[in-house]
Amino acid sequence: MKVNEVPQDDVFDYSEGIKKGNYALDDKGKYVMVPSKGWVIDEMINRMAYDEYKAKEEETRKAVLAGRKSPLAYYMELRQMTPEILGKTAGIATFRVKRHLRPEIFTKLKPSVLEAYAKALAITTEELITVPKNPRER
Amino acid sequence: MTTELITQETLANGRTYIHRTAAHCETGVTCALFRDKGLEISEPMIFGIGSGIFFGHLPFIKQTGLPISTFRSIPGLVFKKAAKRLGAKVFRKRFRNQQKGMDELRRVIRTGQIAAVTTNVYWLSFFPRRYRFNFSGHNFIVLYENENGFRISDPALLEYTTDCSTEDMERARFARGPMEPRGLMYYPISINPHPDIRKACIIGMQDTCKQMLGIPIPLFGVKGMRHVAQKVIKWPEKLGYIEACRQLAHILRLQEEMGTGGAGFRYMFAAFLQEAGELFGSKELNELSNEMTAIGDIWREFAVVSSRIIKQRKTKSEETFEKAGGLMLICAGREEELFKNLRDVVGKLKA
Repeated sequence: MKVNEVPQDDVFDYSEGIKKGNYALDDKGKYVMVPSKGWVIDEMINRMAYDEYKAKEEETRKAVLAGRKSPLAYYMELRQMTPEILGKTAGIATFRVKRHLRPEIFTKLKPSVLEAYAKALAITTEELITVPKNPRER
Repeated sequence: MTTELITQETLANGRTYIHRTAAHCETGVTCALFRDKGLEISEPMIFGIGSGIFFGHLPFIKQTGLPISTFRSIPGLVFKKAAKRLGAKVFRKRFRNQQKGMDELRRVIRTGQIAAVTTNVYWLSFFPRRYRFNFSGHNFIVLYENENGFRISDPALLEYTTDCSTEDMERARFARGPMEPRGLMYYPISINPHPDIRKACIIGMQDTCKQMLGIPIPLFGVKGMRHVAQKVIKWPEKLGYIEACRQLAHILRLQEEMGTGGAGFRYMFAAFLQEAGELFGSKELNELSNEMTAIGDIWREFAVVSSRIIKQRKTKSEETFEKAGGLMLICAGREEELFKNLRDVVGKLKA
């Protein structure tokens, strides 16, 4: 790849103006460092993954409002966690985390358990017991 | 967060640190750490000496439910190998206790010693929103403490230094999940200012050839590439078109976007071969560098073709999985040839 072939596709929503380093050949055939504004292909791939997380998060939010899942499930998705990761972070066994994703069990949780979850998810305990009424903005 | 583009910082003991942009987090960090100790060395050189180029397909490690294909060696290995081959004494430690891990970091940077940390990207709020995925394996350098938390230098992401809050730092360093960093921090204690670079290069190249050609498991090195290429070709039949696209996108993400470098790493390795060619006065190494550049271009073409397949997944375009897999097979073939030649060339070099 030559210096002038280094992609400079500026998609602000994606890179927020941040440049990535690339090695490319200059006129004399020598490798030099060239900062790149981004590449549309990277952007597209990133968007697919990002949207996938978003879609899962939104689906879970609706499920919580419909009473099929506990708010814990929503915040777990929000933080891109799985029951295993959340369990490790909060210091609660995975099988218990999985149970706590059921709304009827979640409502009976002790404050100490809620606090552990809130801390692990970097939110307050008040936030943890509800989910936002509207979808989160991108 | 500051928007000024500061690239020079004064450390706790009055020394100056110069921030430079790098192509990859680990090599960039290693390079900056060594430079700080007075060893002028380029990022591609570190990459070559630390044998950073690799290929591995890991169907048993899942990320968001999809198998990982890696284009790099295990995070942390480049620093370790480069340090050993350049005769550096290093400090490298993980922590069970979060508080101890933070205290040790503070203690070290207060003495004016910069330290690299391994972090989880999701918790770093100085990252662009869309870069923040649950991935533990990003490295950057902590310079000193300030009123916002820590002043850091992230050579692979930013062209300037920035701040990272204490909460972010704690969360990111001690995030749980796959590949837990467990507060890993590292820095060289002392380094030989005039190491035998020629010898280090030779060891690095030999090791690289071994990694790419010699592992007798069909998931690693050139064999791994072939394995994945053949899988790619069969995907549409096996998984259905949409799911095949999803898997292909995942490979692309690991290759290009997450800085784990497919084509990018090939170019960096080509840059290393070029520098080594000058160092040894070897025309052959220079030719191999050109070949590596050409291979990098094919990896890029693979990315372009794959992205077209994915983009038109609903209409099914003229680009096919056979073509994408085919390009990968070409890469595998040419890389096999290249590393075999490199092995022969290295054998003739004198330290």
